[in-house]
Amino acid sequence: MSATVVVADDDPDIRTLVSLSVVKAGLTMVASAEDGAQALAAIREHRPDLAILDVSMPEMTGLEICRAVREDASFHDLRILLLSASVDENTQAVGIAAGADYFLAKPFSPRELVAWLAVGKEAR
Amino acid sequence: MTNFVTNVVRRFMSDLDAPSPAVKQSATALAVVFAAILSLAVPGLGYSDPQLGVSGLGTIAFATVLSLVATRVESLTRYAMIIPVIDLIGLGAFRAGTGGAESLFSSLIILPVVWLAAASGRRYIVVAAVGTSIALMFPYIVSLTTPGTPGEWLRGAFAPIIFGSAAAIINEMARQSRKQLSEIEAMADDKERMLDRTVRYAAQLEESEANYRAYERLFRGVWGAVTEQSVIGTDATGLIDAWNPGATKILGPTAEDAEDKLHIFDFHLPEELEDRARELNYPPGETVLNPGFSALVESARLGRAESREWTYVRADGSHVPVQLSVTRRVDEAGATLGYLFVASDVTQAREVARLKDEFVGLISHELRTPLSSILGYLELMRDDEENPLSPEHMMYLSVAERNAHRLLRLVGDLLFTAQVESGRFPLDARDMPLGPIVTAAVESARPVADAAGIILEQVLPQTTVTVHGDPLRLGQAVDNLISNAIKFTPRGGTVTLALETNDHDAVITVRDTGMGIAESELDKLFSRFFRATTATRNAVPGVGLGLTITKAIVLAHKGTMGVESEEGVGTQFRMTLPLMPVAATV
Repeated sequence: MSATVVVADDDPDIRTLVSLSVVKAGLTMVASAEDGAQALAAIREHRPDLAILDVSMPEMTGLEICRAVREDASFHDLRILLLSASVDENTQAVGIAAGADYFLAKPFSPRELVAWLAVGKEAR
Repeated sequence: MTNFVTNVVRRFMSDLDAPSPAVKQSATALAVVFAAILSLAVPGLGYSDPQLGVSGLGTIAFATVLSLVATRVESLTRYAMIIPVIDLIGLGAFRAGTGGAESLFSSLIILPVVWLAAASGRRYIVVAAVGTSIALMFPYIVSLTTPGTPGEWLRGAFAPIIFGSAAAIINEMARQSRKQLSEIEAMADDKERMLDRTVRYAAQLEESEANYRAYERLFRGVWGAVTEQSVIGTDATGLIDAWNPGATKILGPTAEDAEDKLHIFDFHLPEELEDRARELNYPPGETVLNPGFSALVESARLGRAESREWTYVRADGSHVPVQLSVTRRVDEAGATLGYLFVASDVTQAREVARLKDEFVGLISHELRTPLSSILGYLELMRDDEENPLSPEHMMYLSVAERNAHRLLRLVGDLLFTAQVESGRFPLDARDMPLGPIVTAAVESARPVADAAGIILEQVLPQTTVTVHGDPLRLGQAVDNLISNAIKFTPRGGTVTLALETNDHDAVITVRDTGMGIAESELDKLFSRFFRATTATRNAVPGVGLGLTITKAIVLAHKGTMGVESEEGVGTQFRMTLPLMPVAATV
């Protein structure tokens, strides 16, 4: 069974772009969220293998979701990929410190994202 | 008042010393008038020879008239000594006319003798003696007889000796008194000069005091007018001795609460002072004063004015960021008396800078998000194997992609420029070789150069050139210079990138055979959004940020940036970066 993924971004076009990449890489999309609160609810509900989260989202930022999830030991195996269009050089470090596993700066290449996702496809 | 007294004393003295001839003559004149009246009024006196007596009186009257004239006419005053001589002759005649040797009025002779004797000069003693002799011998002179008895001879010769001696004594006394008088006068002069000087000093003192008060008023005014800056003065140990209204406004306490009671370091964050002390390598516990205070005044103590950001702690414990300049207070000999701390509250400035950064960050973020979609979907289209694009469509796509990338770069450049301006310029510096940076820049520019038909050459040294810097930023700087050179060079031209070293610096030159830059524009070349006329005329794309950023990067590495250009011939940019000292190899 391929790895499951929850995607969250307040920009619908980016959300679609990421979702397309997930599907292209052969992973299973379990939920797509348009704000932080929805994303956290989807993660708790679907317990995916991977969460791809935008950093700046309404309701709850990607960083806040990271912290919330890392407080819960049952999510020990969840991998988190943070996406950010931020220009602050510290964002990546802050994201990793908040509990994210990977960081991808926008704009990103869907081709590279697909390749990266495909490597971890059978992670489970 | 004192002046008046001095003047009166002086006039009195001078009158005593040199009374007018009329005054001197008045004694003789009055005595003779009195004698004349007596000789008429008292029976038994009378004239033995009325003719002689009267001519004597006439002579004295003449002398009196002369004395009045000599008093009036100043030019004649110096001849006044003739008057007592005439008096003597007149008195001689009067005595001869009133009984000769028996005359009651022989003693009047003493009056002109005194006048003569008191005059300045010993010769007047002789004049007095001779005059007396003539006066006493007058009866014999007028009757052309010789004295009959030895007593008469004796009177003629002895009396002048007596009178001469008396005249000598009077002359000497007069001389002494004149000397005393002149000494007194000299003393009076001295006194007057001293008094003058004292008066002058007093006036000067008054003027200085008025000036001082004016300056003090001005100083107080300025001191009180500085309400937006805190100005605090301390002694050499940091004890506050001056506190302006600005200090009260920024920090809370009034001058009364602070002066002579609090120290400047009471208003600083102890951690900041300790950090600074550590930065300055103060050995802990070894400084005489509070180490934090020493750190605070370190530069000022060495005579350098220093301005840096500190955090003041208000009386209520709240913090306020300040830009603080510290200067030394010195006495006339240049010794340190204490320090002056002038601080501006930079809370607002910081807030404005923060808002600006935030705004630029937000704009960049908001521009990047749609660009992410544009670039992402364009890539999806390019990679869509199921519905491949025609070569023509693929070309259209490339144009869209290229322009989206241009926009993205522009956003990055804008953000970077804003960071440079706000002085927050992230540099990830380390010791790094420059050669690979140059090579990488040339390699990444080669496809563009090839497409534009431009020959790209690089010149590298044999040795490794090491500098301390941020490889990413330096790469960006070199990339900017190469892409500029390619943009501004026509087909068939050459762009040469060279790395060399001199004693202290690594030197990177980028030379092209392009269109060049007008000399008048060279100094504006590195300003933000500036575009050379050759660039706009030839429709070379760009917004005018590349060189601004390049220069900022080089300056941040303590390097220099220079340019030489000739229109129609080419341009050379020269970038220097301080070399790292070569590490000794074992």
